[in-house]
Amino acid sequence: MASQNRDPTASATTRKEPTNTTAKDNHSVSKRLQQELMVLLSSQDNRVSAFPDGDNLFRWIGTIEGAPGTVYDGLRFKLVLQFPSGYPYQAPTVKFDTGCFHPNVDERGNICLDILKEKWSALYDVRTILLSIQSLLGEPNNDSPLNSYAAELWADQEAYKKYLHEHYAKNNKKKL
Amino acid sequence: MLRLLTLIIFLTTLFFTLYLKSKKSLSLSLSLSLSLSLSLSLSLSPLSLFSLSLSLSLSLSLSLSLSLSLVTLIVAPEMVLMENYERINKAWEVITNVLIPSSLGSQATQLTEDEEIKFQEAVEIMHESQLTRIIEDWFIECVQKEMQNVVVPKFWDYFHGDCRAGILFKNSLKETITTHCKAMLFTARDRKIYKATEDFYMKAFKVYQNDQGDEDLDESINTERCAGCEEKQDKCKCTEFMQTFHTINRKLDKLNLLSKVAGSCITTIVHRTTKQHIEYTCRGNVETSFLESLEKWLDKKVLGWLDLVWCSDQMSPTQLQSLKEFKDTLRQYMYENYARTLIDQLFSIIIDYPESEPAILDLKSCLMKTDLRSHLVVSLKDALESRLLHPGVNTSNILAAYISAIRALRVLDPAGVILELVCEPVQKYLRGRDNTVRCIVSSLTEEGVNELSDELIRGLPHIVDDNTASDDENEDWNKWVPDPVDADPASMSKLRRTSDIISMLVNIYGSKELFVNEYRNLLADRILSQFNYDTEREIRYLELLKLRFGEAQLHYCEVMLKDVTDSRRINSIIKENKKKEEPEREDDEDIEINSMILSAQFWPTFREEKLNLPDSMQRCLENYTKKFESLKGNRTLIWKPHLGLVNIDIELKERTLNLNVSPVHAAIIMQFQNKDQWTVEELSGVLQIPATALRRKIAYWQSQGLLKEEATDTFILVEEQRANSDDIMLADEEETESAMASMRAQLDEQMQVFWTYIVGMLTNLESLPIERIHSMLRMFAVQGPSTVECSIGELKAFLDKKVKEQKLIYSSGVYRLSRNN
Repeated sequence: MASQNRDPTASATTRKEPTNTTAKDNHSVSKRLQQELMVLLSSQDNRVSAFPDGDNLFRWIGTIEGAPGTVYDGLRFKLVLQFPSGYPYQAPTVKFDTGCFHPNVDERGNICLDILKEKWSALYDVRTILLSIQSLLGEPNNDSPLNSYAAELWADQEAYKKYLHEHYAKNNKKKL
Repeated sequence: MLRLLTLIIFLTTLFFTLYLKSKKSLSLSLSLSLSLSLSLSLSLSPLSLFSLSLSLSLSLSLSLSLSLSLVTLIVAPEMVLMENYERINKAWEVITNVLIPSSLGSQATQLTEDEEIKFQEAVEIMHESQLTRIIEDWFIECVQKEMQNVVVPKFWDYFHGDCRAGILFKNSLKETITTHCKAMLFTARDRKIYKATEDFYMKAFKVYQNDQGDEDLDESINTERCAGCEEKQDKCKCTEFMQTFHTINRKLDKLNLLSKVAGSCITTIVHRTTKQHIEYTCRGNVETSFLESLEKWLDKKVLGWLDLVWCSDQMSPTQLQSLKEFKDTLRQYMYENYARTLIDQLFSIIIDYPESEPAILDLKSCLMKTDLRSHLVVSLKDALESRLLHPGVNTSNILAAYISAIRALRVLDPAGVILELVCEPVQKYLRGRDNTVRCIVSSLTEEGVNELSDELIRGLPHIVDDNTASDDENEDWNKWVPDPVDADPASMSKLRRTSDIISMLVNIYGSKELFVNEYRNLLADRILSQFNYDTEREIRYLELLKLRFGEAQLHYCEVMLKDVTDSRRINSIIKENKKKEEPEREDDEDIEINSMILSAQFWPTFREEKLNLPDSMQRCLENYTKKFESLKGNRTLIWKPHLGLVNIDIELKERTLNLNVSPVHAAIIMQFQNKDQWTVEELSGVLQIPATALRRKIAYWQSQGLLKEEATDTFILVEEQRANSDDIMLADEEETESAMASMRAQLDEQMQVFWTYIVGMLTNLESLPIERIHSMLRMFAVQGPSTVECSIGELKAFLDKKVKEQKLIYSSGVYRLSRNN
């Protein structure tokens, strides 16, 4: 998956300084994002998808579906991806737009996922981020929960699923 | 009052003459006398009413009504021979006694029965003696005298009593009565009289035409008869007729009745004649200018006649003025009719352009004088749509018509507004045809087919802009002409005025990229189908196109042509090297190869087709590649085996065929070297060609009589040619396929890409209006130089198709993905 990425990590960490963002870089960022969009759309994977929100190429709306076989199966979640001008050397900010009951997602949609934080690499792209979040849904990291109630409930999958669907229906009445 | 009565009497005689003339010639059997008396009595009734109030009326009305009955009596029966003088004398006395107005001067005295019978008899006698006219004249004389002596003085005396009324009425009364009289006379006018008048004038017109020496009249019909009066030549009564005509006109004029009686007739006649004349002389002939001859004709034949009718040399200035106005109207009428005739034929005029230029110029000057512009636009638009814009017409024909329309309408309207208005549907229609660009480009570069290539050569080297016009006003402001009123204020006047045919054509699509792309495809096709390295002509055209489209646009094409010259050089070097290295090697395995080396980046996308060449051929190609690699360092060749030409000798038992065929054909026939019988599947497996395509190719060899389908899907080689073989399938010469991927295919591919973007958008952004989709596609999906542009209209069609396929839902202006996918 990471092979989609053109720049090797080495060049990103040694030659380029992540903090140095100029207008010139902006152009290469949009180029990269556009490239990513093309790759993502042509991958024909309809479980994850994303598209720039309006005319702004730096803010995307993503959509993921719960993986089959998990309690999230059949649910659709919207995410907002905000790309910094230092992308891909800085990680994008990713949040759930749809309310999501999950041990690693807080009430405001913030996600606790290592690759979006300290383990970010320029090798990742939108597609891999979305796929990671999709797999996170089915395999939460209950050791460092943002939503402790969800973490507690996780053990009882039946109850968890019931609560999850109620929560989903309640929070997304308007949208779906 | 006297004048009034004479007037009426005059009128009577006039109608009589009129009637008699027309009866003579036209055998109208209407009983004019009756209608005359009717009209007279009617016309007099208001007068009598008026006089009643003046207490003068009774005698007058009685005498007049009597005179009327007399007239009725007089005219009716046939005439007999003359009787003796005495009888007449007696009768005369009786009649005069009865009719003499003086005897009626005192109140109305009813005739006794006895007197009545006597009177009747007397009338009978007079009539038999053909003396009715004399009685009539006498009676009129008497009436006149009576009026003069008795009625008129009494009448005017009446006003002397009241001076104010006299002042008020004295001058206008006469006129009022005249007007009244006229009005009543004409309201009651019989249709038949109208017809008679019309016939009379028509005849007069004809005679006049004849007098003027009308060469156009068809002499063959009337060789024996005079064209004017339709009498035998030797008894031609034209002159007499004209005299009568003249007299009548003068009399009518004197009565101030000419326009009233004859005006509408004359107008009808003149209009009809003008229309007929235009129709007769001008229709169908668009290669001559008629305007001048028409004007002459009108002046000489029609306006001259009008002068005659109104006798213009004796007219007062005001009358002259009104006659002049009438003539101007007629002239206008002629222009209008001529313009209409031309507009009716405008479509064929345009098609015949430039031969039809005189007609166009005529129309142009007529348009300036008339108000037919909008009529022209509408009718031409209709004609174009019904005759040109339907599937039955070839694109090249539409283009040819469009080109001549551009040229013709530019002459007609230099501002280009008519062109813009009329050709808009044509442009729209052409946009919908997928071979339009190809047609334009190929006619641009083919010599002698139509004038487009001349246009390219001749045309001013000005750059085709994509609908943008420069703002600099370098034209002479002294000669500035405003745009016509129907011009679209949104578009630039300068653009309309200056754009030439090629830019008009290019602007059908609004982008020159499309053209350049198509030209690139065409050029590629031509280079690859010629198989020689001759590029001189292509370079010439390329240079010409560069003048128009700019260097940058045609850069790719330039590289393509350079590839060709490079190929020739490399090819000859490789061949020479080969000769040096292995001079005497001549075996079956060695096939002479000429290559065309194309720089992949700059050529259009090729039609992909898989083909496994026979080993021997493949080996030769590999050899060639090796040599190329050694020559060119780190470059290599990727062969496109399906594009190319193979010259093969086929040695059969009794004959040898030398053919130029495509590599696919060659590969097929070469397989039969090893094995005489192949099934389609086997061949398809060996050559890696799909079976259906293979069958099509085999058809060629069947038509050559070399292969024969022995059983279904099994082919054998036919060594001996049998005459009249039924097996030989006369396949149509296969349509030469373009080496390039077709426009349609490219577009479909592009739309597929767009579709994935649209799905992406709608998955994440839920629902979008078409404008947003379009702008997002432009922003995110359109990259690279050769991507097909997608207009909002095309996008709409595409999205609607998806809606039909139930992939999308369209509601309240926005599109969304349907739930089930």
